[in-house]
Amino acid sequence: MSKLFPTYEVGSLPKLNARVRAVRGQPVTDEDIKEVRSLAKRFSVEESEVVEILERQRQKKGKLTSEEETALADFNALLYLRLQEGMGFDVVYDGEARRAEMYQHVATRVSGFEKSPEMIRSRGPDSWRMAVCVDTPVLQEGSLADLVIREFEFVRKHAVRPIKIPIDDPYMIAVMSDNRYYLESLRPEYGDDPRQLRYEAKRAFTLALARRVIRPQVEAVVERRAAWIQLDIPAATLDIKHIPILVEGVNAVVEGIKDVKLSLHLCYPRRVSLTEEKGYELLFPALLNLNPQVNHLSLELANADQYEDDLAIFAQYRDQRQFELGVGVMDITLEQQQRKRMETPEIVKNRILRAATTLGDDRLVYVAPDCGLRQLQLDRCLKLYETMIEGAELARRG
Amino acid sequence: MVGAYLTGAFGQSQDLYKARNEAKRGRGLPEAAVQQAKKDTQRIIQLQRDAGMDFVVDPMFNFFYLFQPFAEQVEGVKAGPQENWFNNNVFYWRPQIHGPLPLQTGFTEKYLHLHELPADGTAMLVLPSPYTMLMLSDSTGYPDRTEAVTNLAEVICTEAQHLASQGIGRIQYDEPAIVVKQSLGSLTEEDLMLLKRGMEVCGHVDGVTTSLHTYFGDAGPIIPYLISLPVDCLGIDGTETSLVDILKHDYAGKEIALGLLDARNTSLEDPQRIVEQIRAVADRTHPAKLWLTTNTGTEYRGFTHGTRKLDLLRRVRSMLHE
Repeated sequence: MSKLFPTYEVGSLPKLNARVRAVRGQPVTDEDIKEVRSLAKRFSVEESEVVEILERQRQKKGKLTSEEETALADFNALLYLRLQEGMGFDVVYDGEARRAEMYQHVATRVSGFEKSPEMIRSRGPDSWRMAVCVDTPVLQEGSLADLVIREFEFVRKHAVRPIKIPIDDPYMIAVMSDNRYYLESLRPEYGDDPRQLRYEAKRAFTLALARRVIRPQVEAVVERRAAWIQLDIPAATLDIKHIPILVEGVNAVVEGIKDVKLSLHLCYPRRVSLTEEKGYELLFPALLNLNPQVNHLSLELANADQYEDDLAIFAQYRDQRQFELGVGVMDITLEQQQRKRMETPEIVKNRILRAATTLGDDRLVYVAPDCGLRQLQLDRCLKLYETMIEGAELARRG
Repeated sequence: MVGAYLTGAFGQSQDLYKARNEAKRGRGLPEAAVQQAKKDTQRIIQLQRDAGMDFVVDPMFNFFYLFQPFAEQVEGVKAGPQENWFNNNVFYWRPQIHGPLPLQTGFTEKYLHLHELPADGTAMLVLPSPYTMLMLSDSTGYPDRTEAVTNLAEVICTEAQHLASQGIGRIQYDEPAIVVKQSLGSLTEEDLMLLKRGMEVCGHVDGVTTSLHTYFGDAGPIIPYLISLPVDCLGIDGTETSLVDILKHDYAGKEIALGLLDARNTSLEDPQRIVEQIRAVADRTHPAKLWLTTNTGTEYRGFTHGTRKLDLLRRVRSMLHE
């Protein structure tokens, strides 16, 4: 990209309150409709059809028709696309407006997966529905349309700016799922060496997901002329000894894929690793083995604000492998929202310039929030975007 | 005779999830979640009794992470940034410790269901090992790490003694960090010294037995060192440590808790194979007492899965007693 410090969103935005309530069959409030009208006006999106649906839903309880749900989803996707374009993003998507949640979006469409009976606790009271792998994982027949094709074609049709589509990485799905099938399959071979058994079972699981679940999605959007695909790997450094599996999984997804820009989004690097290395250092030298076409990484950095330390490893390996980096400059954690804290444009500017100085090349630096914003309030997301775009502009001026 | 028990936090029920979620979103009362946790605790305690477990462990439904009572109740400790709990999609908040910490008692009580537990010396409670807590915290105010681990061990030991006075029979110190470091190849002499120092302070607690329970890593290469520590029982994660390595040693005088059931996978182990493994260890390594356990708590796979592993423990224990 010729522009200095291009900006993009990493992933999700929170669904519109009005849509969430309407889809759940709950009464929509005046406030919800006011928000829809206001955003639609600000970003020049036609809202009369959805407001009519929402008005009907204001007093009554009950399910929407599938046509009404589709109309709301289309509106939400178009609004977030226009919102990103209108606020000045250089690369855009739809805020994952059609996806319930990144893991479930894929896990519920895989044959060979069963749902765990209960929600599993993860972060405080927050929980997730784990999938249990009980057979070779394969994408369910006919699921590509709902997974990626419909949303991608909609965005491509409406987008004015370049687009980047996020897709789950196989290693992420493997790490978040219960790997019963491969553990049992490989136990006869590796049963006497439990650590090797876990490694080989995770490797087999990841590669099966790469080839049978993730790659078909990548092929489907490449066929439809996707220009940039981002694979999401939030749990990259979870199991330090297993990082080579992550790389092998990515390579299995992208092998032979041509004419598309490929990137990885990595978040939550381990800062307490119990080794000499920490953060993104943990990913090296394994990342050097990534398929050369994967030349861009988007990184969570703002919540630690240690740009020089965290990025030094990329500068250190620059002679062997030079990655463009999407530098996370906005801390998107709930803690920041609860404390009502946010970066200023000046802080953003300084972070961008610190990153550029550490990497030694301005052209390698893209600008993004740390991660998707699904958990935040929408008005905070807008403020966060404004701050980031303004900070990037300040950085361009030097 | 081989005994059996669960080793930590139990998986939450769907009812508990719903109650917590409703409270979090302001649609339900926090009290409803408290009541559901109590109800589930009673149920799990009864299930452990029915399964003939030799120790009955508090299922820790009021804990979101092991260090929570310290971060919320102990003067000088605060919750810091969130981190992954080892290689799990579960998080803890890194304790920010400004020492030296004062000694206080009863700070874990509001998180436990002490009145639901048996008072006959068969109840077991879990506390962090001082070494693991030190390694996963940021600490200031100490001249060196030896002083830090000593102070943490004193705080933990004081609480352990308080719990012992409430009729508890066993205190289990959770010690994942030492074997994870061993597995990652980053273990140093200082690590072993700090672990030992912590156990010297809190390894003996009047009126109870203590167990140093290692998990998430391979204990094999450091088993001789671990055996030498002043605790009654050593817990080994059998899903990380090979049986070949476990069988190399003589555990005379030390109790061994073997975590051969993988609490982090829904696959149910073959009970006959577990029986054979346990018998091999009993016959060849001469422990003072041998316990069959899950490698860790069942919290990583939920309530139903936890009950299945508990039932498997019951079946294997019963086969061993035939």
